[in-house]
Amino acid sequence: MEDSIVDLTYALEAFRYLLGFVPVTLALAVGSMFLGSLLGLAVMFVRWRNVPILGKLGTGYVVIGRALPTLIILYVVFFAFPVFLLYVNDGQVSERFNAIPPFLFALVGLTLHSGAYLAEVFRTAVQSVNKGQMEAALACGMTWSQGFRRIVLPQAAVLAVPLMGNQFLSLIKNTSIAFMITVLEMFGAANYLSSISERYIEIYLALAALYWLVGMFFETLFRKLEVRLAVYKGSKV
Amino acid sequence: MLALKDIYKSFGTHEVLKGISCTIPTGSVTVIIGPSGSGKTTLLRGINFLEPADKGTIILDDLKVNVEKAVSEEIHRLRQETAMVFQSYNLFANKTALENITEGLLIVKKMDKRQALEKARYYLNKVGLADREKAYPSQLSGGQQQRIGIARALALDPKVVLFDEPTSALDPELVGEVLDTMKKAAEEEHRTMLVVTHEMAFARDVADHVIFMEGGYIVEEGSPKEVLYSPREQRTKQFLARFRSTAL
Repeated sequence: MEDSIVDLTYALEAFRYLLGFVPVTLALAVGSMFLGSLLGLAVMFVRWRNVPILGKLGTGYVVIGRALPTLIILYVVFFAFPVFLLYVNDGQVSERFNAIPPFLFALVGLTLHSGAYLAEVFRTAVQSVNKGQMEAALACGMTWSQGFRRIVLPQAAVLAVPLMGNQFLSLIKNTSIAFMITVLEMFGAANYLSSISERYIEIYLALAALYWLVGMFFETLFRKLEVRLAVYKGSKV
Repeated sequence: MLALKDIYKSFGTHEVLKGISCTIPTGSVTVIIGPSGSGKTTLLRGINFLEPADKGTIILDDLKVNVEKAVSEEIHRLRQETAMVFQSYNLFANKTALENITEGLLIVKKMDKRQALEKARYYLNKVGLADREKAYPSQLSGGQQQRIGIARALALDPKVVLFDEPTSALDPELVGEVLDTMKKAAEEEHRTMLVVTHEMAFARDVADHVIFMEGGYIVEEGSPKEVLYSPREQRTKQFLARFRSTAL
């Protein structure tokens, strides 16, 4: 197989090697998606309810967070946060700074990135629910939060889930930039492997296949969830 | 008894309610008529604070609420002791017909599940939709949705049921079934009802008391006979003239 362009046996070998880094990629994606959802939900709330100061901060965050390239957010977290730590620690360099794993910086950076997008996803989803739904809940004697949890949220979720799926798929691919701050995930591992074997085509084909498989898996998952949540719409979905 | 005293409300510089006072005795049906923009709906939505009025007093039996100083407990109590039927039905889209009725019973009235189901089925039957309990609102006609809206309101046993133009969004051939349901609630259950409507025949046949509103004022009120057939005010006469040829 020396003379063929693509050595499939080696590609398979690379695939197996890269498979070992799927958990890191998924931990980053799932972790920042989860934390980003909480952040996005909180930001959506403070903006929706016009909470003094926090509402404005939320809007600023959404505008800036979505305008900045994800890599810059990651760099800011990775390089600027230690400077901040240095500042609050009265300029004393502490051993503990270095003990913070890069994975954590990547997680925080990607959370900040997805939180800004998800805040908008949640905002549009909640706004898409007819105002009369909350009014009916209140008129029945429910409190605002009961009405939100039981009536508005389940309906908003139907719209939010496909958008969240979108966000999550792009997030899986975005985790590859964590490699820029030394986190060894799928992309980083491929990069490392190819710098040794110099079999770029096989390795990146295997990597692409792996991203594709992971993506397909979650796409199906979100699709199923969407159908399940939309039961009340009859046969419309 | 529901009593309103000097209710005022403005949207920006536009004054919609200019001191409305009226009394709705327990067990009676009061119908509010009047041209669009006269403040009828705003008045109704002021009672349960979906659109809080600016000032005035709302009295519901032993509960007396100063609108300006209303605290959230008072607003919550007013909402729990009233129920509303909406022009656009506003059934909970994510709940079945049955769940639309049990929702308030379980969450607000804290009934146990068996009791709530029993009560919900009783009212579904009452509005003639016992066979549609598993249907979602999207699978029901407007008339059916509104009948469930009425069942949802009645099941909560409110002191007053507020009807906000309950038939205005319906196809003409579906209006009858909804009006019949309302009529039954009035006649068989002696519900206290405050109804904003353009259905003059309903006002004539079911109401104990008719209020004619225009421009944010109560222009005239009295029995259906008085207001609909021998109105004293010029404005009432002009308004009713449009219905004279058809409904009355």
